[in-house]
Amino acid sequence: MRVTVNNLTFAYTQKLVLNNLSFSLKSGEFLTIHGKNGAGKSTLIKCFLKMLKVNHNAIFLDDIDINNIKQFNNVGYVPQKTEFNYEFPITVFEVLSCAYVKKRDAYYTEIVNAFDLNKIYHENINNLSGGQLQRVFIARALLNKPKLLILDEPTVGVDIDNIKTLHDTLANLKKNGITIVLVSHDMDFCSDLTDYYLILNDLCEYTFKKAGDGNVPC
Amino acid sequence: MFLASFFEALFKYDFIQYALIAGILVGILAPLIGTVVVIRRLSFIADTLSHFSLAGVCIGVFLSKLVDWKIFDPLFMGIVFSIMGTFIIEKLRGFYKNYKELSMPIVMSCGVALSGLFISLSNNIDSKFTSSLLYGSIYSVSTTDLITIIVITIIVFIFVILTYKKIVTLCFDETYAKVSGINVNLLQLALTIILALVISLFIDIVGVLLIASLMIIPVASAILVGDSFLNTVVSAILFSEFSLVTGFIISYHANVTTGPVIILINVTILIIIMIIKKLHSSIKKAK
Repeated sequence: MRVTVNNLTFAYTQKLVLNNLSFSLKSGEFLTIHGKNGAGKSTLIKCFLKMLKVNHNAIFLDDIDINNIKQFNNVGYVPQKTEFNYEFPITVFEVLSCAYVKKRDAYYTEIVNAFDLNKIYHENINNLSGGQLQRVFIARALLNKPKLLILDEPTVGVDIDNIKTLHDTLANLKKNGITIVLVSHDMDFCSDLTDYYLILNDLCEYTFKKAGDGNVPC
Repeated sequence: MFLASFFEALFKYDFIQYALIAGILVGILAPLIGTVVVIRRLSFIADTLSHFSLAGVCIGVFLSKLVDWKIFDPLFMGIVFSIMGTFIIEKLRGFYKNYKELSMPIVMSCGVALSGLFISLSNNIDSKFTSSLLYGSIYSVSTTDLITIIVITIIVFIFVILTYKKIVTLCFDETYAKVSGINVNLLQLALTIILALVISLFIDIVGVLLIASLMIIPVASAILVGDSFLNTVVSAILFSEFSLVTGFIISYHANVTTGPVIILINVTILIIIMIIKKLHSSIKKAK
């Protein structure tokens, strides 16, 4: 999926957060977003997901203004742990089957197998490790065959082995032509997969650069 | 003997049959909606709406004494006020960005004040009627009330079956629900209206003061034992039904109001589960 951001400006009631932000991604490209807390990373993701109202002609997905998109059929989202109700009594099976609009079919089974979720299929999500939880959320995001995958801090609370698995999964998805937008504090995670970096700071300034063009500013 | 005489009366008197059917239906509805209310951390809204719904019932009683219009039927007025209450709460939440919870006590106080006012304006209201509003009187369920309860139960069931996946997704992860194309605002509105409908139905059965308990306490017990959403809902319904049927039998024999007995049984179940949970985790730690 092609992503175009065109002079995106966003302000909360009293605070400007994103100022004239512009960049574009082609299908299958990988964008990593860095920035300190409060720099606008989450705000940008919320703008992408239409959780916040943005101006017309500011964000385009496959050349369609997101304000004209009624339903995101092609966008997958992997939230931060703090964003969902993690005390909710729910099993992996329920998380996945409720996210899958259709009847469970071969594709559903393929995703469950691909993320090795069979062993934890009937586990309550409260009993899962950080890595297992991320696998569940990525599987859920992929159930609806997204062309754009947005991940918000997926490595938080995940051990080294599972970070490696997560990296390989994203590499595989990139190979399959899925555009990936990753928000991460971890500068090294997926640096080999990243095509572009977007670095935001708390002065509403940004740097959008191709990977390999000099150092990535922190 | 204890049970035999209850069942003998059950087969003999229509009003006991109506009461039991109404109780069983409410025993399913209350925890079903209660689970969503608790999980979305809206427990206090049930209490607020029940008090505002009471105002509708009292105004209905007052007006139906003045004019003989069906529209002023107290149960119907209770439903209308309950739904109005949800919109007023939502409006008030918009006024207080940082003190959103203020909307609830404001609406609740308004409901209590209106109820008090219209009870005093309605002549010939006896203390028995007031007591039945506060603590319920399930044995006074009429055929019309029963039909209303059956219709609302069917509506709620159809709604839950049709939107089950969406409700679970909304409760678990609101952001994902929005991203996946669920009309979150519409679903929330529908859930709130159903909550308002169910609450106004309960006034007859458990009374205003105990409505929230009937929705919340079985769910509080179920959350401690349930390891999936479905499991939690089913456990909550089982606890609720057990307390309702037992409460019926005990209150019939002891000749006391049914509502409080049902709630006290629910609280007992909760305490027993808490103790078992505590013992279980202590044994686990010791191992």
